[in-house]
Amino acid sequence: MNTPASRRKVLGRLGGALAGLATLPLADKARAAVQKVFVSSGAPRDYDPTKHRWVMAVDVNRCIGCGLCVEACKTENHVPDGPYFRTWIERYVVTKPREGTVRPRGETIVDSPNGGIGGFKQPPVPAGEILHSFFVPKLCNLCEHSPCAQVCPVGATFDAPDGAVLVDSKYCIGCGFCIQACPYGCRFLNPHTRTADKCSLCYHRITRGLQPACVEVCPTQARIFGDLKNPVENDPIQDFYAHHRVQALKPHLGTDPRVLYTGLDKEVM
Amino acid sequence: MRRWSIPPQITRIILLTIGIVTTYLLAREFLTPPSFGQYGWYRGEALVEIRSPEPVFAGKKLCAECHAEQAAKVADRGHKSLACEGCHGAAQAHAVNPDIKTQILTYSHCVRCHEVNLSRPAWHKQIDTKEHFPGEACTDCHPPHDPLESQ
Repeated sequence: MNTPASRRKVLGRLGGALAGLATLPLADKARAAVQKVFVSSGAPRDYDPTKHRWVMAVDVNRCIGCGLCVEACKTENHVPDGPYFRTWIERYVVTKPREGTVRPRGETIVDSPNGGIGGFKQPPVPAGEILHSFFVPKLCNLCEHSPCAQVCPVGATFDAPDGAVLVDSKYCIGCGFCIQACPYGCRFLNPHTRTADKCSLCYHRITRGLQPACVEVCPTQARIFGDLKNPVENDPIQDFYAHHRVQALKPHLGTDPRVLYTGLDKEVM
Repeated sequence: MRRWSIPPQITRIILLTIGIVTTYLLAREFLTPPSFGQYGWYRGEALVEIRSPEPVFAGKKLCAECHAEQAAKVADRGHKSLACEGCHGAAQAHAVNPDIKTQILTYSHCVRCHEVNLSRPAWHKQIDTKEHFPGEACTDCHPPHDPLESQ
């Protein structure tokens, strides 16, 4: 039978037990043991993410489709072989309008054999039928309003204060929401880690003062990289903004990408 | 007069609620990583982890520390915009231990950029290897560090 007296006794005991547990130094040790799982690494700590704003730009007119960026990205970031890319190159071939039709242009054919990692062979249509053709490098568009970060149920993907959109692979549960949410197809499920993977802007390089691997190896400077918070003398990124009319991919989605392109075609998505 | 008391079913609900809330608070205290919320709704420590891997590509600057002569030569010639590692391959391992050699260049590397292709922009120098000295190595005439100086 529940009487006020016995209830008080029970609650008192419960409170006592809780207080005891909280004061026990053992609790601290237990907490330290649990959280040790999440804390590690001997990376340099002198980098302050709030003091940078990294950004990339792409000059489509300069891309020659050599595929060095794709190869360098795979090497630098140990991206598994196969159809897994943090960056890739697409080739667009716009054909002439079919004979007898009065249209400005024909069809658009897009290909990206193995992400363009080994370069490109001749276009898949005869030269006579081609109106024009060009290459478009693709990567994480660094959205101001990232759909991928919005949908992550566990806080494993996020917009870092320095502009990179990153994946915490220890927190990622591999649900794949972000892969579906990214309108630019920039994410994949890494078959080795079973977690979401994407372009990190070579976070381990840029925080050491290096350029992302793709920017480093690009022979024509089709990719431009910079820090908006720390402009340098003759800053290539500021020069790019000053001298080009730029466009973002899929602007109608409201993601507001920080990766800006110049020389795009209406067919590029 | 009948003494007022909390009905047993209400007591059970209250106790159950206290139990659930306490368990939740305890679990949260123990399981939330200390850096969670440092910058936002994610683990701040993840930033440190993501930047911890060692680079694989050394960067042009590091290459020039030992290979200053080649770097200076390339710097004002036709291939000035190229990174050393674009052709020679990732070289961080070589920078740490020079006994580890970088890739040996082959003919296929030249045509990767310079074989004529309709998709390439017109300003880019392209050649048709079926017509332009077929079967001969590009480097016989064009030293890669100074490609326009024919030998």
